[in-house]
Amino acid sequence: MNIPNSSTAPAAGEYAGDEVSAIVLDPGYWTTRAGFAGEDVPKSVCPSFYGQRDTESDTQHYFGENAIHNPLGDLDIKNYWGSDGIVEDWDTATKLWEYAITNRLTGTKATDPTRNGLNDGTNTNGDAMEVDIDALDNQEKPLEESPLLVTEPGWNSAKAREKYIEIAMEDWGTPAFFLQKTGVLAAFASGKASGIIIDVGASHTSVTPVLDGMVLRKGVQKSPLAGNFVSNQIRHIFKQSAPEIPLTPHYLVKSKTQVDAGAAAQATYKTFTTPPTDSFRLNEEERVLTEFKESVVEVWPGPGRFSNGTNEEIAKNTPGRPFEMPDGWNQVFGAERFRAAEGLFDASAALTSESSPRPKDDQTIPKLVQAAVLSVDADQRPLLLGNIVVTGGSTLLYKFNERLNYEINNIYPSTRNKLIAPGSVVERKYAAWIGGSILASLGSFHQLWISKKEYEEHGASIVEKRCR
Amino acid sequence: MATGRDVRDMLGLPMGGEAPKAAVQKRPKPAGGTRKIQGVAREVAALYGERPPPVAVYEESKSYRAKRQNTGPAKKWEQQPFRNPVRSDGLILRHWKRKHTTAPAVQPSEDATMQDGENTEPYIDTCSDYAKYDIKVDLPTFTDDEYDAYLRSDDWSREETDYLIQMVGDYAYRWAIVWDRYDFQPSLAHETLENTNGDTDQALATMPFAPSKKRSVEDLKARFYDISAKLMKQRIPEVQMDAEQYSTYEMLTKFDPVMERNRKMLASALMNRSMDEVKEEEFLLTELQRINMAANRLDAEREELRARLDAPQHNPAVSAGLQAFTSSQALQALFQQLFQQDRSKKRASGGGTGPGRLSLSANDMVHTPGSAQAQLSAANRRQSMASQAVAQTPVKHLSPRQEERFNVSTHDRLTSGVTFGSDKLLKMRQAKSNVQTQKIGAALAELGIPDVIPIPTSKVGGTFEMLVTKLGKLLDVRKVREKEEGEVRVLQNMKDGTKEEKMDTETKEEPEDENDDNPNYGEDDADAAGEDEDDDDAEGEEEDGDEDQDTNGDGDGDGDVVPDDLDAEGEDESSVQPSRATSQGATTAGHKRSASVFSQGSEERSKRIRK
Repeated sequence: MNIPNSSTAPAAGEYAGDEVSAIVLDPGYWTTRAGFAGEDVPKSVCPSFYGQRDTESDTQHYFGENAIHNPLGDLDIKNYWGSDGIVEDWDTATKLWEYAITNRLTGTKATDPTRNGLNDGTNTNGDAMEVDIDALDNQEKPLEESPLLVTEPGWNSAKAREKYIEIAMEDWGTPAFFLQKTGVLAAFASGKASGIIIDVGASHTSVTPVLDGMVLRKGVQKSPLAGNFVSNQIRHIFKQSAPEIPLTPHYLVKSKTQVDAGAAAQATYKTFTTPPTDSFRLNEEERVLTEFKESVVEVWPGPGRFSNGTNEEIAKNTPGRPFEMPDGWNQVFGAERFRAAEGLFDASAALTSESSPRPKDDQTIPKLVQAAVLSVDADQRPLLLGNIVVTGGSTLLYKFNERLNYEINNIYPSTRNKLIAPGSVVERKYAAWIGGSILASLGSFHQLWISKKEYEEHGASIVEKRCR
Repeated sequence: MATGRDVRDMLGLPMGGEAPKAAVQKRPKPAGGTRKIQGVAREVAALYGERPPPVAVYEESKSYRAKRQNTGPAKKWEQQPFRNPVRSDGLILRHWKRKHTTAPAVQPSEDATMQDGENTEPYIDTCSDYAKYDIKVDLPTFTDDEYDAYLRSDDWSREETDYLIQMVGDYAYRWAIVWDRYDFQPSLAHETLENTNGDTDQALATMPFAPSKKRSVEDLKARFYDISAKLMKQRIPEVQMDAEQYSTYEMLTKFDPVMERNRKMLASALMNRSMDEVKEEEFLLTELQRINMAANRLDAEREELRARLDAPQHNPAVSAGLQAFTSSQALQALFQQLFQQDRSKKRASGGGTGPGRLSLSANDMVHTPGSAQAQLSAANRRQSMASQAVAQTPVKHLSPRQEERFNVSTHDRLTSGVTFGSDKLLKMRQAKSNVQTQKIGAALAELGIPDVIPIPTSKVGGTFEMLVTKLGKLLDVRKVREKEEGEVRVLQNMKDGTKEEKMDTETKEEPEDENDDNPNYGEDDADAAGEDEDDDDAEGEEEDGDEDQDTNGDGDGDGDVVPDDLDAEGEDESSVQPSRATSQGATTAGHKRSASVFSQGSEERSKRIRK
């Protein structure tokens, strides 16, 4: 007799798993994740940046990791997300998502024999061709067989939501569709139906209160203080250091020689007949900065802010971390490595310049949490504070959770605050996708899908009614 | 051997039906004995013997897994299209299922015709496993008439009320979410209607149901509960409601939005306390806990003390009842009397810490019939009546004759452990110095007393002690005599030679001061000195002084064993010294004194021995 407890696997009927080979698409600013529901990791993770090459006749798009890091002369690197955290460039977004899905998951359909060029010359009559075209269009749609679950940010506009279902239904021909907010899914990935989800991504930090699997819209908070902000802070640090620290991306370096710490780099550089665009360089620099964030940047873990009292002195006494640039320049970073991410928690500590003004106080993460909690009914606040789910790639900054825990306990000392941060990197980065994978593979979810028939009956506005 | 048959016979049970049953039972038994025990090694099973232990502990799963049954080729799975019966749109999804071999045969004719146009697989499953998750919430419904009659509100339009009920249904009574999503926009019909009047904004502001109104959760709840309650009352009159319905109704009518709001304000105030306040509260709580614990402990202690102090006095009624039970009142009276005596004796001796080993106790009365009850009550009250228990302890008194007969002795202080009477005798033989011991041994041998005294009863011991005491005295006297003789000899010698009168006086004093150091003295003297190390100088003088007197009546001192010198023993040294002065003259008195001195010396010796 199997007595159910927390460690025994639930019976088949209990966890209601019933996979219908649905596809889960989780677009983010840095990467776009896609995979089959029921799996634990997205199979297809491709950058949300794309390369665009304008020629006289048309514009070409390049997707995928390999394409966008290729230093072609006139390759512009762009992102389909707008500055407000809502998809801006829908056409390219559609293409990139389709690439993400078909590249690794469904595979591209074989071209119809009438078009693959093998039958050229045997063209008999044009009429037959004409008739087939409609049928062909139907067949070519990439998601004929798979229901699709797409994630959206909590602040998505109604218009954008309708756009999602239009793309899914009309461009991809999916039999069923659903749209769910990333916050809810991240909570599901941690096994919570209620909680506050702190998602620190690349472009935006969002705080989403979720109650019984539904986002409390009034409490959704977002701010631009996220991964890209930290990158900018690092750029500031590099610029402000006494001899300016050079930031040379990998593609420029042909070979490097070892130099002493702090000494000028001695490297041979590549030359290009048509130098890559600025946007390309920026994107490549971002990769170096990502590496820097992963290996050097540390969040001051508290207590108190980094600028408080003797904290800086204490930080100076901790051993530094070395970092080597692609061109061989290297240095050990001491207390300044704490400075890069301090702005996330303390707006006054952010490094500023003319182009990047001081962030507002209410954009910092503790203030966002406070605002989110304040907009929730008083009865639910302790429940939500007991389930604070931390997700997003930027939360992997060293000691981020310690600091966040300190800050939250500082604001709410009388409640039992609990931070839930999955230990594994994949779960932290792709929490929303994993939650979607769980949701879409549930048998009880079958009745929630918006079917093609319903879409045809009610139009795109059905998404507002059903996905709430 | 008594068989079951005999027993049955004795108990008068029927015998007829049992015989076949026994036969039936017999059969499986041997089978059980020889049956192979599962899950236990053969060697271990052999150790069990004929019968396996009553509770055999072994793991069922210890045996090897059964060999997998090969049931032919691998089962085929297929992507089975299915329809969820809950869905109205007939969405067909596919999931992996075991391939049906027989089921499609039933369906195809029907499905084939249906699905013909789509040309898909003929069989579509209906998966209703998850239909149970399709839950619809109960909502109050009302007609227009009902609304007009009962549910009108100045604050709420019909439209908004409908919107509210729809929202509650959509979000399944999750009020926090209902409130979060509540965004009522008056329909366009209203707006256009108002538009004709002129400025829209102004019109909206003057509208009876201004949309700018921000409803709180309490407002929403109040409206909804009000509607529910009113409708409920309409459907079921209050008198007809059963308990459950009425409680629901009561809950609905008693909802007070103001109170709810205040409660939430307090809750949020509680949450928004500062760190200091929280710490203070924690501190106070721990303090409170500490105080409570201390108070509890104090209460318990007081309770215990009170129980002791207020313990019910020995109930005369009980003792009366006890008397009624006893066969003889005289016996009871006797017991009381003895008990009183014992108590007074105890008080006198100053013991009183507990009942003596050989004294009477309340339990001695157990043997009187019917007093078991009394004992029981005594046991119950044992703790609270500790003081009374002492008072109650009765002591049986034996006459001296009986004591002697039963060899009963009383002791002021009992040494722990067991001692033998012979040990005591042996101890008495030993003096502090070896020489003295030898002397005692020689004297005893002289008297013809064997080394080992047979049957060393206490009486024998007592007599022996007396003997040894006297021996000690004898030895002392002998020693003194020798000393005196030696002195006399010295004086004689001095007299013989040329001498002066002064010298005479000097020598008279000399032995008094330097009797220990004088090398002229015999060995015995030195021994005596060693023996008397502990004694004061005054005592030494005293002895010397006595010796002077005793030179005359030497023989008397030896032979004179005073039987009642026990009295003298009790005397202190201080009393001896003044008496000595008076006894200088009278010889009879001096005689007596000498005896007392001897006894004193012996007492000291005996003390030493005891040490």
